[in-house]
Amino acid sequence: MPVDFYWRMAMEGDQPSLRRKGSASRGGFVPDTAGALAPGIRDGRPDGYSHIDYLGEVARATETSGFVGALLPSFPHTDDPWAAAAALARETGTYRFMIAFQPGFLHPVQAARMTASLQLATGGRTVYNIVSGGGGPQQLWWGDKVDHDDRYTRTSEFLDVLKGVWHADGSYDYKGRFYQVEGGGLPASLAGQPFPEIFFSGSSKAAIEAAGRHADYYLSWLEPLPALAAKFDQVREHSAGIGRTPKFAVRLDVLARETEEEAWEEIRRGWAQPGPAATPAFIGLGDSVGWRRGQDLAADGNGAGEDDAHRVPEVSPNVWGGFHVLRAGPVFGLVGDYRQVAARLDELIGLGVEAFVLGGVPHLEEAYRVGAHVLPLLRGGVVAQEPLR
Amino acid sequence: MRPEFHLTLPAEDGTGAFPVLPGFVTDVRPGTAGPYERLARVGRAAELAGMGGVLAPFDPAGQDSLIVAGALLRDSRHIRVAAEFHAGIATPVYAAKLSASLQRFSGDRLDWRLAVDLDPRVARSQGDFLEGAERYSRAEEFLTVAKGVWHEEDYGFAGRFYEVLGGGLLFPLSGRPFPRVQLSGTSTEALALSARHADLHVFDLADNLDAVIGELRALAGQAGRDLEYGLRLPVLAREDDGEARRDALRSWTLRSGAPETFPEPDPRTRLWHGFGGPGLVGSYESVAAAIRGYLDRGVSAFFLEVEPHLEETYRLGEHLLPLLAKEIHNAG
Repeated sequence: MPVDFYWRMAMEGDQPSLRRKGSASRGGFVPDTAGALAPGIRDGRPDGYSHIDYLGEVARATETSGFVGALLPSFPHTDDPWAAAAALARETGTYRFMIAFQPGFLHPVQAARMTASLQLATGGRTVYNIVSGGGGPQQLWWGDKVDHDDRYTRTSEFLDVLKGVWHADGSYDYKGRFYQVEGGGLPASLAGQPFPEIFFSGSSKAAIEAAGRHADYYLSWLEPLPALAAKFDQVREHSAGIGRTPKFAVRLDVLARETEEEAWEEIRRGWAQPGPAATPAFIGLGDSVGWRRGQDLAADGNGAGEDDAHRVPEVSPNVWGGFHVLRAGPVFGLVGDYRQVAARLDELIGLGVEAFVLGGVPHLEEAYRVGAHVLPLLRGGVVAQEPLR
Repeated sequence: MRPEFHLTLPAEDGTGAFPVLPGFVTDVRPGTAGPYERLARVGRAAELAGMGGVLAPFDPAGQDSLIVAGALLRDSRHIRVAAEFHAGIATPVYAAKLSASLQRFSGDRLDWRLAVDLDPRVARSQGDFLEGAERYSRAEEFLTVAKGVWHEEDYGFAGRFYEVLGGGLLFPLSGRPFPRVQLSGTSTEALALSARHADLHVFDLADNLDAVIGELRALAGQAGRDLEYGLRLPVLAREDDGEARRDALRSWTLRSGAPETFPEPDPRTRLWHGFGGPGLVGSYESVAAAIRGYLDRGVSAFFLEVEPHLEETYRLGEHLLPLLAKEIHNAG
């Protein structure tokens, strides 16, 4: 069973390390920081580079390190994935752009047109990460007032129209609650491209139902393995009811080093920094079920002592629930030496995971590191026999 | 007024980017990026030939203008890139956010050309059922909201088409210049919308230029605004008038198959009604003189339409623009 390893593009800007908690000084997000780059300062003036120049470097690192491509996430505070994919399409060769987007923001006909154009520009390297939205204030920020469960109905309609337009042989008509099309379909210059694989995100019941109909992969943030296994079972059960077999994907950060001590020392130093968590507060304020689950699960730490405060969110060996404090993004990831991190990934493969979206800070150097030191140790679901710690 | 020259990118015309070779000729060309290779080369031509920008038209038969704009901005340093789209494609918040990234990636070189009037049949095929004056009401809200989230913090809006609460782009997507807004049309609604929202209003040669410019200038003045005026300009320029006429005749014959119906270019204005509408045909000098005439009438941006795109772009960059160097460099 082949497993696809995706990396991540830091659309929110990149930190030099997890020690610089929340200081995304690569890509123009913290411009006055010493050592900020892309844009940087040369001879007292901005050097003319921008975030996209750095993202291009990360894309090339990703491509040569053994990843099939990367997830381009989309939040209010990030750069836009469609813009980045359009810019980088022609300077990458094999890199798949997994574009995160919320169905309500683009019309499905426009999404079909943009995607087909991007498929042509890249030779079919577009992948979708469809997110139905965290809800609450964040959703109104986007100008979207459709409420939680209705958003999944809209997502279903959106994908019906998008696929309808994409595959239309002749003239496509649709009339639904949210969308209406008459005489639609892609023109000859855009038609006939492969339809992107769909990674579907969402932890609520409504999300899992919508995923069942449309997803190629059910994509979850990492959770402690028993919780994740239970979630997968729920998706399997629901999908079986409608005659589909889902594939599973997991998104997680990894912090892997030569030795375990070295890895935890990175975490300890970041954890010791004063200041608020790196993840913008309003990401957690919505009605996102996945976010709440992560926060709740991380609270069940291992009860380590005072000196080991940074180890408290380690819910099981190497599974650490404090990443959201050190960089903007989800809660859980893996911390350990190369062998341990590879073994945990193998355990996830053992749970049925067929695609990963890995991330690490900084995304450029860590893409090279994980490609060189972790991916080669994977055994494909066979968990190591010798004790790991 | 400093003249700007923009190249209108080719719309889909059914011809491939590469010639088809006989089967026995070894062909190692990539088969997938065809239309983008062509658009990229034309975009680079505009960049190298010293044009001020390019326009990626909304082309239902062709590539998506925002994706094209993203690619061309990445591939250039100087040209502005205008993406033409209609308000039905996305929410104004999303259009603003995507554009803010393009501004960041390009050093603020993105323009918006908002297409308001669409053939109703084309609009419905794009999932857009709004018609008539309603389209202008939506465009007004679309631009208001896009500019609102762009420039303001804690932005709220509740209108007929859109609603936002606690909106506003966040740093560092905030704080860049809003894409320059280009609009067109001569209806009462079109001029009223431009008076409030356009930075540049693009007319056709067939329009009664002095009258519509005067009218729009007055309307904009009432709104306390000032804008620039542009002109869609098909052009065929050569070393001398005779050569230009010869190539115009060749192009006419190719398209119509009827050389005897060839409309002669007007020797005084250089206007030729054989492009499918009016345009300029003549020597470099005479075309430059005609352009100076439009400059004097208040037009400062010219959206050139040429064919074949790459070759004519280099030609105009090398032979026509130098004749207007004084105007380009000395304008206030």
